Amino acid sequence: MKPAPFRLERPDTIQALCRALAKHGDSARILAGGQSLVPMMNFRLVTPEVLIDINRVDGLDYIRLDGDALAIGAMTRHVTVKESALVKANVPLIAKAYDHIAHVTVRNRGTIGGNLSHGDPSSELPAVAICLDAKFVVSSSEGNRTVRAAEFFKGMFETDVSPGEFLSEIRFPVAARNQRFGFDEFSPRHGDFAIAIATVALEMKGDTCVSASVVHGGVREMPGQVADAEAALRGKVVSGEQVALAAKATASIEPTLQNYHGDAAYKSDLLRALTARALSQAIGEG
Amino acid sequence: MAKESHFLEMSRQEEQPRSKYNWIGKSMKRVEDPRLLTGKGKYIDDIELPRMAHAAVMRSPHAHARIVSIDTSKAKKLPGVLLVMTGKEAAEVTGPTASFASPPVTQWAIATDRVRHVGEPVAAVVAESRYIAEDAIDLIEVQYEELPPVVDPRDAITSTGDAVLHPERGDNNVAMHRILNFGPLAEDFAKADHVVKRNLRWSRVAGMPMETAGAVVDYDEGTGKFTIYANTSMYNYVGWLIAVSLKVSASQVNIIPTLAGGSFGSKLFLHKVPTIAATLARAVGRPVKFIEDRMDNIMSSDNHASDRIYEAELAVKDGMMTGLRFKVIDDYGAYLQYGYGTHGNALSQVTGPYKIRSVGMELTAVFTNKGQQGAYRGFGSEVANFVLERLVDAAAAELGEDPTAFRERNLIEPDQFPYKIPTGNVYDSGDYPAVLKQAKTMLDYDGWRKKQAELRKQGRYIGIGVATCQERSVFSSTEFWFLNPNETPGFTLTSSPEGIQVKIDPTGKAFATINAPFWGNSPETMVVQILAEHLTMDPADISVSYADSDAGLNGTGPGGSRYTVMIAGAITGAAKKIKTKLLKVASHMLEADVGDLELVDGHVSVKGTNQKKSIPEIALHAHYFRLSMPLEDRELTSGIDATHVYDHPFTTMPKEDRSDLGVFYPIMGNMCHMPVVEVDIETGRISFLDYVAVHDAGTVVNPMTLKGHIRGGTAAGIGTAIYEHLHYDKAGQLTTASFADYLIPTAFEVPQDVRAGHVETPSPFTEFGIKGGGEGGRMGAPAAIASAVEDALRPMGIRVESLPISPRALREKIRESERLKA
Amino acid sequence: MNKIANVAEGPAIETVQINVEVNGVAYTRYVEPRLLLSDFLRQELGLTGTHVGCEHGVCGSCNVMVDGSTVRSCLVFASQLDNAKIETVESLGRVNALHPLQKAFWEKHGLQCGFCTPGMLMTAKELLDRNPRPTRDEIREAISGNLCRCTGYQTIIEAIYSAAYEMQGATNG
Repeated sequence: MKPAPFRLERPDTIQALCRALAKHGDSARILAGGQSLVPMMNFRLVTPEVLIDINRVDGLDYIRLDGDALAIGAMTRHVTVKESALVKANVPLIAKAYDHIAHVTVRNRGTIGGNLSHGDPSSELPAVAICLDAKFVVSSSEGNRTVRAAEFFKGMFETDVSPGEFLSEIRFPVAARNQRFGFDEFSPRHGDFAIAIATVALEMKGDTCVSASVVHGGVREMPGQVADAEAALRGKVVSGEQVALAAKATASIEPTLQNYHGDAAYKSDLLRALTARALSQAIGEG
Repeated sequence: MAKESHFLEMSRQEEQPRSKYNWIGKSMKRVEDPRLLTGKGKYIDDIELPRMAHAAVMRSPHAHARIVSIDTSKAKKLPGVLLVMTGKEAAEVTGPTASFASPPVTQWAIATDRVRHVGEPVAAVVAESRYIAEDAIDLIEVQYEELPPVVDPRDAITSTGDAVLHPERGDNNVAMHRILNFGPLAEDFAKADHVVKRNLRWSRVAGMPMETAGAVVDYDEGTGKFTIYANTSMYNYVGWLIAVSLKVSASQVNIIPTLAGGSFGSKLFLHKVPTIAATLARAVGRPVKFIEDRMDNIMSSDNHASDRIYEAELAVKDGMMTGLRFKVIDDYGAYLQYGYGTHGNALSQVTGPYKIRSVGMELTAVFTNKGQQGAYRGFGSEVANFVLERLVDAAAAELGEDPTAFRERNLIEPDQFPYKIPTGNVYDSGDYPAVLKQAKTMLDYDGWRKKQAELRKQGRYIGIGVATCQERSVFSSTEFWFLNPNETPGFTLTSSPEGIQVKIDPTGKAFATINAPFWGNSPETMVVQILAEHLTMDPADISVSYADSDAGLNGTGPGGSRYTVMIAGAITGAAKKIKTKLLKVASHMLEADVGDLELVDGHVSVKGTNQKKSIPEIALHAHYFRLSMPLEDRELTSGIDATHVYDHPFTTMPKEDRSDLGVFYPIMGNMCHMPVVEVDIETGRISFLDYVAVHDAGTVVNPMTLKGHIRGGTAAGIGTAIYEHLHYDKAGQLTTASFADYLIPTAFEVPQDVRAGHVETPSPFTEFGIKGGGEGGRMGAPAAIASAVEDALRPMGIRVESLPISPRALREKIRESERLKA
Repeated sequence: MNKIANVAEGPAIETVQINVEVNGVAYTRYVEPRLLLSDFLRQELGLTGTHVGCEHGVCGSCNVMVDGSTVRSCLVFASQLDNAKIETVESLGRVNALHPLQKAFWEKHGLQCGFCTPGMLMTAKELLDRNPRPTRDEIREAISGNLCRCTGYQTIIEAIYSAAYEMQGATNG
């Protein structure tokens, strides 16, 4: 299991990265942390002609408050995000999700941008990004454009990033004081990719939910909103009963992503249970 | 059946269990460890020879296909490629690999005209690097003509035409159909007041050591000799079969063992990997390294384990189990290297620790388009344990009795040994009630039952599992062939020896050479502890090395929980010779009669005096001062050394009609596993709240390493019970062919503390009364976990009949139960 | 970029120059871009203590330290590591002078076949560097990305726990 040959580009600056991307087009793949890409290369499922290693590119590794958003540079390692006090204080849902993300050695190397660019539907962060309506900054030699999370993911392992472009920054809205968050997932073993994910963000006015974002992951080709569950919560006093109703409403999501470890019926069961748990967590009863 | 004391007359035991030892029974730190801890252990991939080239194999993407053509021209042109070889080309110089089946099943190391499972090698490349070798594989073009894949073992029974894997063996995929009955089976079922029936499924898993199989081979064209480095066991037992495949004489193959990074049976006898490497080395004229990558290992290392479907019944009369019968279909995959050994094995303890007096088995062994079965920790007996314990739990539940009470009444009693079971095998010794009792005490079984009831009221699903299982140890070799057809049993071997060479060097240090490899067990530590005991030496003065097959004595190696018992026998024989020589030399030095001498604390002394000579003094004398000793004693040659080959301590032939299989696995351990689990009914997750495992492995040489086996085996058993599955889809594709999908338990999936306890019932047949304990954990854990999960979900009426009980599978059962309730 | 022939009659394979410090020794090497760090350490430098178990980033046997953090050496290309500081199991102790972690693994029987052990040790080292007095739960979390097929992990956790206290004692005392 050795990767096929490739040519290596090692740009140091964003400008050089843009030039390399422009030059190689779709014959190039970007190598960030490599924790998903390199296994696929070792299996020879991916055989890029050119690999652009962006680990030396200056200015892509940061976490900073920028207006009402927390901006995270794409090359920020998972370990940095997980341990960041700024993240915990401003986007607590990310911190909750990181309790489930991979293992320490993978988090040391893997990056938030690499993870999101991979577009793996069983990964935690895409669901979180959609739940929070995060904005993705996609850059190229032409400049920057911003894409909403829900539009960033185009399919399984497919994103809105075109050849010549790269994801440079993810902007998560800073949590308001009246927002409550929950995250839960199921994986057979600790730290594995999830079979199902449920994550929620509730905007509360007292005990009443003003608006709700309920997102599934791991069950379809892309994570997405569970509109029926959101509707079941909106304008309601969130109690155990309401939680159960919202959880039940996840039945409208038909799981299409199936494998040995999770068939459709199982994923439906999980989504319901996990949604209830994430909601209970959000309202402080989990 | 009953106590059969006359068997004790066959005992060759020389060293009886003692009340006090110097080194046996101590938790000595392992002598193997320092080099392993510092990265200095030499595993197969650490072998590097001058001019060594690297091999990779091309694997079949199809489950079943004819190879129509192979075009290697592009691959051959790739710079850095030294050789591309198809199966047909290889078969011109190298014959098929070994098979214990009768009639044999032809397996080529590289498929010649037909592939029978996904991942089967179809061509091999040798190149300057493994990277280039894999590049070349991408350039090989193979045309296949797909054949119908046979995946469901039940379908295999009725396969016809192109779906038949081995047409030369018959016109269907049934490798063997055999009915064997022992004891008054019909009577027991006729007279039963209760018959328990269960349909049970044990799925395909594998040992999956962290290190794959590999070989490095150097071929010397001048002498025609192969030097094979490999991480295989049994190289001093059946390693010569590789020479047969290579069509050279046995003396033209020298196998040098390297450390094995785990085996669990999967490297019992590697033939394919060394044969491929040797074939390539001979053809390319350079040393060749071939290390399986993880894909090769998962799909094609001939190491998949039992894959069985049972219909099983248990007869009970007056609360006593009397008869057991079952129909079993076993999916052996594409080939049949060890014959039906895994079923022979299971018949050694098929009635468990219970007084069951009749057994009936109907075995249908089939070929399918899957990886070939090999060995994995339990070798089929772990499945029989699961089946029997499921029936026992079912009987207790249906009769409304506590599962421990039901078991306790049915256990063979301590004064009934040696105990012959219906199949003919004999259990040497045991105290099964003591094991069960200790487990119950350690767990606080009654306390947990109370807690369970309380928590059930809170809606929590807690289960307490029980498994009282046998842990046979020290295989004799008849199990490999006695299920073959009576008329054509094949190669009816009856030896499974273990040899050792011991010498005392001129400075008085002992040096032992063993004839088996290290594969994660503790052979060096065992030798050091047992030899130190015999020679009253400091363990630090004893070192151990591994013989290659050129120098090696007969040695079967680890497997079937045999090594510690067998090497103890070999050491005992060799140490006796060494001791005799020490006394003889000392008698001349001390001018005393041998009869007046004794070996104590590393010295030979004249009894009752302070006259003595140390082992170093005697050793120096023995090596260099021949003229100081009587020349007329022609036996008294210079130096101190001894070899000894120890044969199986207690085995007999099976009867020709197989109405009695003879004694073939008599050194019988016993265990009781009691896990406490909680089931999350919404997700199907199973977590452990407690785990007690009490084992009786006879006299314990090293409690620390035995506990290591128990805990490690239990973790592997947890994998088998819940997480692991080599799952083939309908097309015969292996859907779990990576470590991302084949789920080996991590530190989170095992209990925080597997509380291990020991009961010691020494064997009357082995030296010091030692029994084997290498497989025990995995032979008990799956049965115990199934028991616990079923107990947890008893309010829902859920039965655990199929492993693995993955979260998905368990949730499916819960969903069905909820649906029926609603 | 450099082009050198690495096979006598073979092609000129594109290589890149890297300067790395491995276990305190500086090396300058020309490597093919695709050469995995695991193969670089084992084949180019002869540091065979790092073991390769799965080559797809799951088992952790090949974990080594790069600039103070563990990485799966099968998921990193050597060509990425110019100027990196790498530590492997060979950087810990020697047979006659074991590192406290190695000593504790020995005493607590934290290994059987020894194949996963170098990766476990490097992962444990990283944990203790970051968290000198971890709880057993923190140790479990830290090693949960390293597979061991022999021990059932219990003795590994005990070994790391006891090494931590041993090392603390040494520092404090």
